[in-house]
Amino acid sequence: MLKVYLLALHSALTDFLASNNISAAQIQEDHQRRVREAETQEINEGNSNSQDDRESEENASESPEQKKKRKRKETATLAKIKQSKEFARRKSRRVGEPDDDDEFIARELMYEKSRPLPGQLEHCEVCGKRFTVTPYSKTGPNGGLLCAKCSKEVANDDKKAKAKKRGPRTGRRQNQSNLLDGLAQQGALSLAEMCTKKVADNINDIEEFGDLPSQLLHRLSQILSKRRALTPRTLNLFLRPDLESIDIYDAAKLEADDFQKIFTFMPTLRHVNLRFAGQMKDGVLEYMLDRDLKIKHLHLDSANLVSDSHWQRLFQKLGPQLESLKLSNLDSSFDDETVGTMSRYCTGLRRLKLKYCWKMGNGSLQAISDLTSLEHLSLSFVQDMDAEKLLELISGVGSNLRTLSLQGFPNADDRLLDAIHTSCQNLTKLRFSGNVVCTDKGFSSMFTGWSNCPLEYVDLSSTRDVDNSNPDGPTEATGLASEGLVALMNHSGFRIQRLDISSCRHVSRAAFEEIFADGKIYPQLKELDVSFHTIMDDYLVGCIFRCCPELKKMIAFACFNVRDAQVPNGVALIGGLKAQNTIIVESTV
Amino acid sequence: MAATNSSQSEYVTIVSGDGFEFVIPRSTACVSGTIRRMLEPSSKFSEALTGRCVLENISGVVLEKVCEYFCYNQRNKNQTNVPDMDIPPELCLELLMAADYLDT
Repeated sequence: MLKVYLLALHSALTDFLASNNISAAQIQEDHQRRVREAETQEINEGNSNSQDDRESEENASESPEQKKKRKRKETATLAKIKQSKEFARRKSRRVGEPDDDDEFIARELMYEKSRPLPGQLEHCEVCGKRFTVTPYSKTGPNGGLLCAKCSKEVANDDKKAKAKKRGPRTGRRQNQSNLLDGLAQQGALSLAEMCTKKVADNINDIEEFGDLPSQLLHRLSQILSKRRALTPRTLNLFLRPDLESIDIYDAAKLEADDFQKIFTFMPTLRHVNLRFAGQMKDGVLEYMLDRDLKIKHLHLDSANLVSDSHWQRLFQKLGPQLESLKLSNLDSSFDDETVGTMSRYCTGLRRLKLKYCWKMGNGSLQAISDLTSLEHLSLSFVQDMDAEKLLELISGVGSNLRTLSLQGFPNADDRLLDAIHTSCQNLTKLRFSGNVVCTDKGFSSMFTGWSNCPLEYVDLSSTRDVDNSNPDGPTEATGLASEGLVALMNHSGFRIQRLDISSCRHVSRAAFEEIFADGKIYPQLKELDVSFHTIMDDYLVGCIFRCCPELKKMIAFACFNVRDAQVPNGVALIGGLKAQNTIIVESTV
Repeated sequence: MAATNSSQSEYVTIVSGDGFEFVIPRSTACVSGTIRRMLEPSSKFSEALTGRCVLENISGVVLEKVCEYFCYNQRNKNQTNVPDMDIPPELCLELLMAADYLDT
């Protein structure tokens, strides 16, 4: 029924139109043409100023009176805007810029106020796309509205800027961390140090270091190694053919190829220092030997995949030119025979350090005794050694030695101290730790009337008796105790810079009071470790601070009577019971 | 005469390779070991006589940051817990070279 009616109407309308020479198809076509035109116009105009559009629209159809009225209204609004707070704020922000004209700003504000309401269509100020205005649409840089996508980007940028503003803060945690590293210095870091850290932070964005001096490269390598960021990629930054040294403190992430690359790119290498070099293999060593390198200083750590035969080939080839050799953490190879080869070929060695090489035994000690040119010797054995062999070693090489470090010789007795007393005249550094036999008498007679120059670095830590069934220790003190320490300070106090006497449990309070008595000065002492000296208290610590004007770092773990020590500025007291208190003292002094 | 005047003057001028000049207090400039030695009156260097240091190999952008550091260093003298200065990453390598040269 309805359909019939519509059909009738339709035909009636068509008839009417046809009679007036109008066709429905024509209308449809015209409409589409107009839409197309409008679209092309839009594209052509693109980013033209929307303000002009508005003005021209407004101006198009109005009579002179209307225009006058509109102008009057506009001036009134502008005047009102110029009084507003928003205007003043915007003007102060724009001072000095090319668009700080009053009129311009006021107009801008006026057009902003009359911006489209939510629900209307608008063109995005940034990308020019048409979009529906919502309450969440952001304002663009020129006051127009932005589409959803551009709004999001602007919001993201804002967030980033805010996060940046907060900046780096050093909190109490960082403070404590620095203190444990012995850093209690005041004032700013050096610019070089700060930049080095920043470079390390951004290491992944860096293509090359340019001609950075080698000491800065060294520091960078240290920082990157500590952060475990030394990868094959970052290694490339350190390969510079003009340099003679390479120091990689953490080579754990490097493969055999990377080690070969080091020797390919740096043909003039003299100083090689590779730690945690787990992937250093026989092949790499062969390649290194084929390159005819002039290596003089070789320092390899944990190169466990190198076999004894290749170590021996290395010494046969490079031995005569080597001046310093440091090897550590070798457990599957490097036996007495290899050490024998080393001492046969490396006759010019001045510095030798062998630590935690598990296979080395008495034969090695004997072989090292032949290296009479040694000036620096550092040994740390895992196996138990014959005391006699050690005596032979000291009497063999002692006279030239300037530094001597012996760790892990628990059974050496007073005869060793006596041998050091008679053989060594040029020592500046002495480390002898972990021994359980040498007596206080032995130490005191070593330091008494010793023709050796004053020592600068002394480490006699953990020389004490360990017997669980007798917790108070023997009546005759074992290890460095009161007499020995007094003799040491009398001999070396004037020049000593670092002293480690931690866990020397038999030093009495009277001895400390005598050593750090009023009027005594140890002008060079910078680092002192008195951990596990339970008689240490606030008074004694105060005496120490008074007698050691240069002290920078004092380690006092398990000194339970050090409670409220007044720590001078610039001194790091590590391990005190109340770490927080010392900070307050520091900052208020 | 001019020499005695300039050695007493409180400010010195530091000039970058591309001609930017920075006038900063003498004590501030002496945070840098290199500049301090340049300005040492007993050295009789022309820098010491004129109070003007030209650093040919440092650009204005970097030198501005260096001067900012000088002031930052002075401001934080004898203070603990100093926050790090903000260094733009793109400048840090050049700044590092400059810092090495200037011994700061």
